[in-house]
Amino acid sequence: MTAAERRFRDYMHAFNASDWEALRRFYAADIELVIGNGTTLRGRDAIVDFYRDIKSRTSRTIEIVDCFSEGNMLAAELKSEFVALIDAPDFPTRPLQRGDRYYINSFALYEFRGSEYHRIRAAVFRREFRPRADG
Amino acid sequence: MNFGSQAFRGWFEAYLAAFNRGDFDGFGAYYADDVIFHGQAAQLRGRNAVLDFYRTVRDRLDEQVELVSFVGASGGRRIAAELRTTVLARHDWLEMPTGAMRAGDKRQSVNIVFYDLHEHQFTRVRSARLWPQPRTLR
Repeated sequence: MTAAERRFRDYMHAFNASDWEALRRFYAADIELVIGNGTTLRGRDAIVDFYRDIKSRTSRTIEIVDCFSEGNMLAAELKSEFVALIDAPDFPTRPLQRGDRYYINSFALYEFRGSEYHRIRAAVFRREFRPRADG
Repeated sequence: MNFGSQAFRGWFEAYLAAFNRGDFDGFGAYYADDVIFHGQAAQLRGRNAVLDFYRTVRDRLDEQVELVSFVGASGGRRIAAELRTTVLARHDWLEMPTGAMRAGDKRQSVNIVFYDLHEHQFTRVRSARLWPQPRTLR
């Protein structure tokens, strides 16, 4: 495993643990992140605020299916699961009701300088929505 | 596959070059017999099905693919490629799976494509569209 791949696993661990201060340290000051629905976030604060909001309404975990790196770029295949903790009619991907589950299988490219990511782009390969059992 | 990283990228670039010049034997050799293909316009299984699909496409469109980014996994087991695809409709193709095109329309899109490899061949190809959505250039 390369240093970039180890760092990426640490990054995802911080994300899944909602360790916002640790997460911030992975981002360059000029970080730009484009998520699968096209939303573009610029700067550490914008990203952390976005994820903090998502996690206030859903339980979200990301599983690394695979990651590998070359030069200053890392590629990852990710599986994300969202479970709505509350009704979220304005959730970025689609309206959710408490208990709904939403799965995303995505591909992402992470460009880094030293130990910091400065450009991240994600593309959704598959989505699956599972309404709560009594929904 | 025991490529160095430059050789691995070169091997992949040769695939794209064959694709871009319509060398079906050349780029077809990169697909395993039972390749699983999840493209933007088709879900297919098998080299022959993929080549038949691209023959249909080539009858209607000029398609060029440009390598923007390349990440090769160690051991040559997987590739992640950022590809910019430009298509130019030579005829009307109103039933085109990714959206109707009229003769002369030119459309561009960018995708992250993951290729799984075994013994110098693609066993699975999966494409995910990067934002922004495809745009018409004229």
